[in-house]
Amino acid sequence: MKSRFLLIPAYALVISAPVQATVYLSVEQAQALMFPGATFTPDFVTLTPDQMKAIEKSSDVNVLSPDLKVWRASTGGWFIADQVVGKHEFIPFAVAIDAQGAVKAVEILEYRETYGDQVRNASWRAQFTGKTKDAPLKLGGDIQNISGATLSSRHITDGVKRLLATYALVLANQKS
Amino acid sequence: MGEARAHQAIDEAFSAIERVHALMSFHEAGSDLSRLHAAVPGERVILDVQTVDVLREALTLSGRTDGAFDVTVAAQLVAGGLLPAPTSGSLPADGACWKDIDMDDDRSVSLRRPLWIDLGGIAKGYAVDRAVDVLCSHGVGHACVNAGGDLRTLGEGPHRVAIATDETQPSHYPVIELGEASMATSSGRAFSTAATGPHIDGRHRSTMGLNQSVTVIAEQCMHADALTKVVMAMETQSADLLRHYNAVAYLQDAAGHWTQLGVST
Repeated sequence: MKSRFLLIPAYALVISAPVQATVYLSVEQAQALMFPGATFTPDFVTLTPDQMKAIEKSSDVNVLSPDLKVWRASTGGWFIADQVVGKHEFIPFAVAIDAQGAVKAVEILEYRETYGDQVRNASWRAQFTGKTKDAPLKLGGDIQNISGATLSSRHITDGVKRLLATYALVLANQKS
Repeated sequence: MGEARAHQAIDEAFSAIERVHALMSFHEAGSDLSRLHAAVPGERVILDVQTVDVLREALTLSGRTDGAFDVTVAAQLVAGGLLPAPTSGSLPADGACWKDIDMDDDRSVSLRRPLWIDLGGIAKGYAVDRAVDVLCSHGVGHACVNAGGDLRTLGEGPHRVAIATDETQPSHYPVIELGEASMATSSGRAFSTAATGPHIDGRHRSTMGLNQSVTVIAEQCMHADALTKVVMAMETQSADLLRHYNAVAYLQDAAGHWTQLGVST
């Protein structure tokens, strides 16, 4: 019997709507949510040391891992599953980038820390929609800070900035 | 599928549910159960093949659970004010149970002692199954038949179903992502301040599940429906039986803790 049991914290439902935004998502679920109806081809990338340096220079964000989990969406665009550090734990998240290189959506896949999960709030995440590598992506600037979740919101913002730089420098040049 | 065809399929699915209700209602005069309750012990009553199906499945489950699942607990439900007393026939004999129901290989059923049968713990799931059969026969590929507490899906979905646990202040909301399957939930929590709840353990005839919530996922909705009562009564001891039906159960205890039983998902 195919089924999956999920327990959604009640406070998460209060903080953010729609309900989907509060569910801990698997990669497959996030893909289906962010690119409805698309199929996905994995296109995992291992960054070279030079590429990592170029990304760091372009985004001013440290690159933690050379391994990049990327899928191409059949409807055009890219799906990247990645993680950033919150306060103590990694925050797995996903970024959908459209065929023109702009952010389509950001989803938090999992949140393990006690505080700061306001980054799952849909309206906060919606601020990233349409951002490209040329956007400042500064917390307190074009991305609002969340009081009580400063570290998580800063690191997600940095993560999106880093992935947009990664897209521009690496993925956009990949042959399909 | 065109709209007219879809409406026809849906109308026929509702008719299939109404038919099960008319046959297996506890209180409606003329239902198979009312006719059986009015018969004298030993008198053979010819029942509809669908009622026979459900009754046979119920007795199989009674045998497999040593009577924890028992459709003759209607006497306790009437005593508790949860069912209206039948107006014809004798009052149930003390100690009458599922073993007093005699079924032939054909459609005739007789009672060895006066007793009352309530199929409320299994027939709703069966009705959902019949509605799904109708939809399938019309070529419907994606559907959900939800009878309130008992539902069955067509198509792999995933269908996202939230479980109403009737907790007063839940810290978490349980959600099931369901493929093509059946799902049933039973809880007595709404009755926790009353003396009698809607679920009776057939072995000692006492109310159970006043502080539990049980959800079962199985292929057939009749099984999911009936197994919620089995899990309520037997808890972890129901695991083998759940596996026999290729079913999985999620049991929440009084303290709010969840246990998964049966096949692993």
